[in-house]
Amino acid sequence: MEEKKAVPGFDKLVVASSPHIRAVETVDRLMWQVIIALMPAAVVSVYFFGLRALVLMLVGIASAVLTEALVEKALKKEITIADGSAALTGLLLAFNVPANAPWWMVAVGAAFAIAVVKQTFGGLGANFVNPALAARAFMLAAWPQHMTGKFPVPLDSITAATPLAILKGTATGTLPSYLDLFIGNVGGVLGETSALALLVGGAYLIWQKVIDWRTPAGFIGTVAVLTWIFGGKGGLFTGDPLHHVLAGVLILGAFFMATDYVTSPITPKGRLIFGIGCGFITVLIRLWGGYPEGVSYSILLMNLVVPFLDRWTLPRVYGVTRARA
Amino acid sequence: MEYLAIIIGGIFINNYIFSRFLGLCPFLGVSKQVETATGMGMAVIFVMTMASAVTWLIQNLILVPLHLEYMQTVAFILVIAALVQFVEMVIMKVSPVLYQALGIYLPLITTNCAVLGVALLNAMEGYGFLQAVVSGAANALGWTLAILLFAGIRERWAFIDIPPSMQGFPIALVATGLMSIAFFGFQGLFRGILF
Amino acid sequence: MMEKMLRTFYNGIIPENPTLRLVIGMCPVLAVTTAVVNSVWMGLAVIFVLTASNTLISLLRKFIPDKIRIPCFIVVIATFTTIADLVLAAVQPDVHKILGVFVPLIVVNCIILGRAEAFASKNPVHLALADGVGMGIGFTLAIMVLASIREILGSGSWFGIRLMPAGFEPATVMILPPGAFISLGFLLGTMNLVTARLAVRTSRSKQKSSSCAAHAGLEG
Repeated sequence: MEEKKAVPGFDKLVVASSPHIRAVETVDRLMWQVIIALMPAAVVSVYFFGLRALVLMLVGIASAVLTEALVEKALKKEITIADGSAALTGLLLAFNVPANAPWWMVAVGAAFAIAVVKQTFGGLGANFVNPALAARAFMLAAWPQHMTGKFPVPLDSITAATPLAILKGTATGTLPSYLDLFIGNVGGVLGETSALALLVGGAYLIWQKVIDWRTPAGFIGTVAVLTWIFGGKGGLFTGDPLHHVLAGVLILGAFFMATDYVTSPITPKGRLIFGIGCGFITVLIRLWGGYPEGVSYSILLMNLVVPFLDRWTLPRVYGVTRARA
Repeated sequence: MEYLAIIIGGIFINNYIFSRFLGLCPFLGVSKQVETATGMGMAVIFVMTMASAVTWLIQNLILVPLHLEYMQTVAFILVIAALVQFVEMVIMKVSPVLYQALGIYLPLITTNCAVLGVALLNAMEGYGFLQAVVSGAANALGWTLAILLFAGIRERWAFIDIPPSMQGFPIALVATGLMSIAFFGFQGLFRGILF
Repeated sequence: MMEKMLRTFYNGIIPENPTLRLVIGMCPVLAVTTAVVNSVWMGLAVIFVLTASNTLISLLRKFIPDKIRIPCFIVVIATFTTIADLVLAAVQPDVHKILGVFVPLIVVNCIILGRAEAFASKNPVHLALADGVGMGIGFTLAIMVLASIREILGSGSWFGIRLMPAGFEPATVMILPPGAFISLGFLLGTMNLVTARLAVRTSRSKQKSSSCAAHAGLEG
């Protein structure tokens, strides 16, 4: 950044510009790093849910990559499927559906993510909400019968209510043990099951400096504190924060989706606030909202606030008035 | 509690833009910059709150006692038009600064269907006076929240490469749709507690 | 005279279609297109109000003082809107309930005030009538197209008749608000694409006087 500041007026541009300008040189490396980091969770998912999980992941990736190529060809743009971003979107989308989801829904969802959420706005770096999450919310609103209710149980052919639905009290069943939640021996969407596998991937990304620790720390920390205070049935400070942290897509969302370069703030302070905001909305939805899980909506809603977080947290350069965008 | 339900419902759950489709023309038209969106938002909050109060009085002190409910639409729109004119004149006299900030937006508000919409919906819901005023203010706040978020997103579009045929209204509508999907997160919030 | 009327009539349907070309009066377009039936009744209500107000305003155009013309237009439009509202409530109570607040809101629809100001107050009765019918039908056709897209994808039916094969699982989101915004966005985008492809350079006359265009033009 230092040498760029030498260009007169460049700071003005940065204020209102999207973050992709910075990331574009290394975008291939970043995207493939994230995909590598998701591999442990993918392997665990296939182990617990069987070949069905693998099929859904492959369908998601294939549909996303194919859509990206077709749209870019139709728009006479450079084909950018090798940068890995479409494949990542397809994989993350598959991670957000249960193992018994129909394959066509994953295909339509991935196509929606790429064609509508990403390419309509101009491709990589131009979308203002996370494509995989917007497509997940789209599928939830379009085919609730496949996205809610009872999810397949690992290593078994039966379905059961998810731990979060039981925590919320909208479904009955026994809560799995912390250990089962941690290694992933619970029902749920493909990517949410194994906290361990996701944490391994997340730690790798932080070590490789692909993601900023502030977002997941703010996100998970806020969820833990708020569910401890408000999550209990017996009054304040009787909640079970560990269950709330380990269950659901919180760890997947905090490490892999809230940290998406394009749709999260560019300043460290902004990222921390972004994480805390996600945590706050997640708890709001989990405890008092209409759904058992609030992680994806919380990230989507915070995506909408990103322009303002950037605006408020970008340091003003002395002597330069803010650009009238 | 009932006021809290009106407030949270108006801002988040039944947002005028994202779920009720009211006030879309200014939402799409005056959202290219955060500054202008703020001005429009302020003017809408001002007028919707006052219009809720005035139309409630018209409805309950004149139309209902005289059995003239069928005159509702005519009466409301005239009152709103007069109110906007009146507000404009008062602000011009009282606070030139405020007039400079809101002045250009006020004449456009007469045809903002959110204003007549909130008046009609208040009457439909059978709200009391204070409920009507709170509903006017809360729904206007929700509208302002929507246009501010949208303007923040839209300001960045100067730097992105939107396909030519999607530029302008098409992309604005698709973006609004995606925002409205995100607002689905608030569906069912506090059900059983407030609603 | 007949030819000019026809041209005015046609103008509202394709070249200056209020919904798809001028993009004004968007609220009812998105709100009432959950099913084709609803859009047809809404369209009929708009055709009635638009034609009646255009005709009356054109008749009175020499008598309405210029300074208070907007309030006069509003009274005329509000009166016809009330008639449409009451008639619809009597004839189709179910549809009236679904359309709800959007029938009385016809009074603030930019299309109607826009046509009163831009056309009816400046043209003879027969042309104002043709313009009202044309614009009204243009609006109705546009919302019927949008409603068809939404009903077929979102409910799997058209006019309530099941259309899609048994295996098709309708995407409920299409009849919810996001489906409305996104399908209209792509409908307009497709219109732009087709227009550009055909290279038909129809004069996109900017209706400066319409209040919605004023919104859009504010920052121009």
